[in-house]
Amino acid sequence: MNLESQVRPYPTRRSLLRTAATAAIAAPLLSACVTGGKKDDGEAVAGGEKTADNPLGVKADAPLEVVVFKGGYGDEYAVKAEAQYTAKYPQAKVDHKGLQKVGEAIQPRFVAGNPPDVVDNTGAGRLDIATLVAANQVSDLAALLDAPAFDEPGRKVRDTLLPGVVEDGTFAGTTVALNFTYTVWGLWYSKPFFAEKGWAYPQTWADMLALCATIKKTGVAPWTYQGKYPEYINDPLLSMAAKTGGLDLIKAVDNLQPNAWKQDGLVQAATAFAELAGQGYIMSGSEALSHTEAQAAWCQRKAAFIPSGSWLESEQKGVAPAGFDMVMGAVPSLTASDKQPFAAVQAASSESFLVPAKAKNPAGGQEYLRILFSKASAKAFAEANSTLPAVAGATDGLTLSSGLGSVRDAVTAAGSGTFTYRFRTWYAPLAKAVDDATGELVNKRISPADWSTRIQKAADALAKDSTVQKYTR
Amino acid sequence: MTLLRSRPAPVLAPAPPAATNRKNPLPQLAMLCWAVVTSLPLLWAVVSSVKSDDEILNEPWSLPSTPRFDNWARAWTGASIGRYFLNSLIVVGGALLLTMFLGALVAYALARYEFRGNRFLYYTFVAAMFFPVFLALVPLFFVVQRLGLLGTYPGLILVYAAYAVPFTVFFLHSFFRTLPTELAEAAFLDGCSHAAVFFRVMLPLARPGLVAVGIFNFLGLWNQYLLPLVLNPDPDRYVLAQGLAALSVSQGYRSDWGGLFAGLTIAMLPVLVAYVAFQRHIRAGMTAGAVK
Amino acid sequence: MRHGRWRFLLGALVPALVLHVVFVLSPYAQAFYLSLTDWTGVAGEAHFVGAGNYARLGGDSLFLDAVRNNAVMLVVVPVATIALGLGLASLLRTRRGSAGYQIVYFFPQLLSLVVIAVLWGFVYNPNTGLLNSGLRAVGLGGLTKSWLADPAFALAAVMAVLIWSSVGFYVVLFRAAIDAIPAELYEAALIDGAGSWTTFRRITVPLVRESVQVAFVYLGIAALDGFAVVQVMTVGPGGPDGATEVIGLSLYRNAFTYGKFGYASAMGVALFFATLTLAVLALRAGRNDRLELA
Repeated sequence: MNLESQVRPYPTRRSLLRTAATAAIAAPLLSACVTGGKKDDGEAVAGGEKTADNPLGVKADAPLEVVVFKGGYGDEYAVKAEAQYTAKYPQAKVDHKGLQKVGEAIQPRFVAGNPPDVVDNTGAGRLDIATLVAANQVSDLAALLDAPAFDEPGRKVRDTLLPGVVEDGTFAGTTVALNFTYTVWGLWYSKPFFAEKGWAYPQTWADMLALCATIKKTGVAPWTYQGKYPEYINDPLLSMAAKTGGLDLIKAVDNLQPNAWKQDGLVQAATAFAELAGQGYIMSGSEALSHTEAQAAWCQRKAAFIPSGSWLESEQKGVAPAGFDMVMGAVPSLTASDKQPFAAVQAASSESFLVPAKAKNPAGGQEYLRILFSKASAKAFAEANSTLPAVAGATDGLTLSSGLGSVRDAVTAAGSGTFTYRFRTWYAPLAKAVDDATGELVNKRISPADWSTRIQKAADALAKDSTVQKYTR
Repeated sequence: MTLLRSRPAPVLAPAPPAATNRKNPLPQLAMLCWAVVTSLPLLWAVVSSVKSDDEILNEPWSLPSTPRFDNWARAWTGASIGRYFLNSLIVVGGALLLTMFLGALVAYALARYEFRGNRFLYYTFVAAMFFPVFLALVPLFFVVQRLGLLGTYPGLILVYAAYAVPFTVFFLHSFFRTLPTELAEAAFLDGCSHAAVFFRVMLPLARPGLVAVGIFNFLGLWNQYLLPLVLNPDPDRYVLAQGLAALSVSQGYRSDWGGLFAGLTIAMLPVLVAYVAFQRHIRAGMTAGAVK
Repeated sequence: MRHGRWRFLLGALVPALVLHVVFVLSPYAQAFYLSLTDWTGVAGEAHFVGAGNYARLGGDSLFLDAVRNNAVMLVVVPVATIALGLGLASLLRTRRGSAGYQIVYFFPQLLSLVVIAVLWGFVYNPNTGLLNSGLRAVGLGGLTKSWLADPAFALAAVMAVLIWSSVGFYVVLFRAAIDAIPAELYEAALIDGAGSWTTFRRITVPLVRESVQVAFVYLGIAALDGFAVVQVMTVGPGGPDGATEVIGLSLYRNAFTYGKFGYASAMGVALFFATLTLAVLALRAGRNDRLELA
């Protein structure tokens, strides 16, 4: 139940509430521990010798303790990696814990200074990673990133990961976490439906509007969206702006720069969506539909496009009729002078693995991650869970469902052209202001200019608010 | 507050004969209308709970072509309604017992014993009835967390009971006051201890009041949402209201309207059935002073 | 005997008192303190910021939306509920089948507000909901609305649910109060040739006044809440664009989503004083015009 929500890169709605709540209490305890002065690392086992076969210097007989979030993906994939670890180090005793509430279980152990060797800090009630970093509770994974990949000795682990994965786990210049799954956002449609009607997926916004006109004439609504949660329609809007304005636009937004929300790219994207709504291309009633209702209407071919992240296919299992074959496309380009190509997609990783700084067997922990992030392990995961892992090429040679296949193709096509906004996770109140404004925009109650003015006002207030911790990128 | 504790009204005087206003159909119509407005959404949920998703989405007013009871099975097991139901039973059952026990003791002690600070204690308990729970919510979360009771049955039971005791004391206080003293005095003369008088004599005498307040507490606790929402973050221990909210709003839930309506129906039916069975007590209880 | 008395009293009072102090009184007391700090939960320690949080409340447009919405609800929900409840209760007084009606009316009162909110969410669904498809079926398709997504109707839709869910309780309550009115009064009115409206206005209403005041307090408290229905049912929730925001939701979001525990506590304190004011005003009014029936 409700497992998908735990694998989202940015936790939305309810899952976030629980997460924030637990993270918030965990924090003071952790910092109390740090100031408590118990900093001896004497218990950690001495590392083994570093060799080509053992690049991280694992002590072969040191026990390894792995704590994994057992959520929507189960923990079978982690167990498989442990089996490989034991195959390589038969003397090592591996202790596995698959938990639903990882945070609650490991928080006291962080405080007591005897954390496990690997933690999958994921799911409701996970610990706030920024807090862990501030409390020096997590170790630098640089050695792991620069070690050769487990089943591709010629490449460094760092180079086997999809774009953005290392950045997602990097805090203040140090990479302390590796995310195992990868989420991509785009526009979804039914391939057979489009083929049947002779519609071609538009690469530019002008083509999109032209196609919408055609679609509307057939009695099908061109778009629907999950109106009860306007954040869904925010994603394509902000993606489009990011393509127009490039990374600079995103950075200005995330860094709360003055007039960031008045940048051309954003205003133009808002204007584009205002037009989409103004032309009546959004299914009537969408604004009041929950995600399940809107997505079901879309699966019934009442609407052609719907915005969503790559989880959509698994979410619609059992709802999408046979032969619906949904696929995801990148958000169309708005202008000919866009700074990023059409193929660029918004993407982020999640399911965050880390090695505690006070782990007794940190080399073993990193070695375990090297095995987990191997191509074979990632491939098995992709096969079992229909989800894209953060390892590049993990789905090569697999027969993928239409949705997952299209997600993989989108990632391949994007190459290094993936981007993500951080303000949603950094400043939740701003995210709410943006969602509300976009909801009003696509319901024709405010103009694009009002939209950017409104959000800018909220961003300015946030920038001025000394009680909010600021981040920059 | 004095207003709230004014004298109890007599229980259900017999209604005058139904003879007046026969000719005017409007009142009958109005009563019927409200009955329809009240029951239609509920009936709709029950009917929808045996319809297919297609029927629910496309013909909201129609009856199912064939009743699908598998929706119920799916809701009960697949959507964990069964587990939520059990969680609710455990938490509400435990909290109800604790509330009634503590509430009756306090109400009795404050109603039948004179001592310094009696009124102060009474108001200390009863005033909490009028505080918005929202105010306590944030610190309460941390209190429960610090006690290590977050997301546990005992934690929920204790908090539920703590928030139900004030009403129970308020209700039973006036009830114990109206009970005759002769029996208790006779029992004391027979050498009964204070506790024995309470448990053997006064508690049985107070049974009607206990039943009424018990029913109110049950309804209140069974339908509690805010407290578990904050204090019970573990999906495995969700109570029914939480589970249903999660089903209807969580993103991850696979769209299953039949299952959701079945879940709603499962949540509604026991309470409605219990009500029809006990409605005499409830009305008597309300009349006897619940809200007076 | 005296010894046993004290022992019994201690045994009877202390456990409940401990529970009450730990889980009820201390959180309330702490909330007042927290509201004067900038505690985020993450910072480890709280800094005293005086009235800073309260000053911010005035500039928080979402919170002001919430206050406005709760104020509207505070007026509309009690008045409508009491009017319906009293009207139905007095209709039931003299008519056949009243026991059955009363049972049906009471049903919504038995259901969790969550169940009610989920259910009404479906009723209000613009395309497949009971309400709009019903309107279309009877040829009133022009009246269909996107009830919960239209800022002009969203709050009304929420209030309708709150009223729907509470009328039954007050029917039963008022019915009991009406039954307590001596039947001779009605008979005398009948003999004097008073119509049913006059009887209602001249006898029923004045004599159930006390119950009405109690109802105002209870409904007022409920109207200052509204959290469950809004959180489960509305767009956003609290939307569209703050149209159904309530103080409880703002507080909840600030505390458990944003981690602004100090600020959220300030909202709680504001809500506390609003509730207190309401109760005092209602009870004052009660004391002044209490009607004693000989």
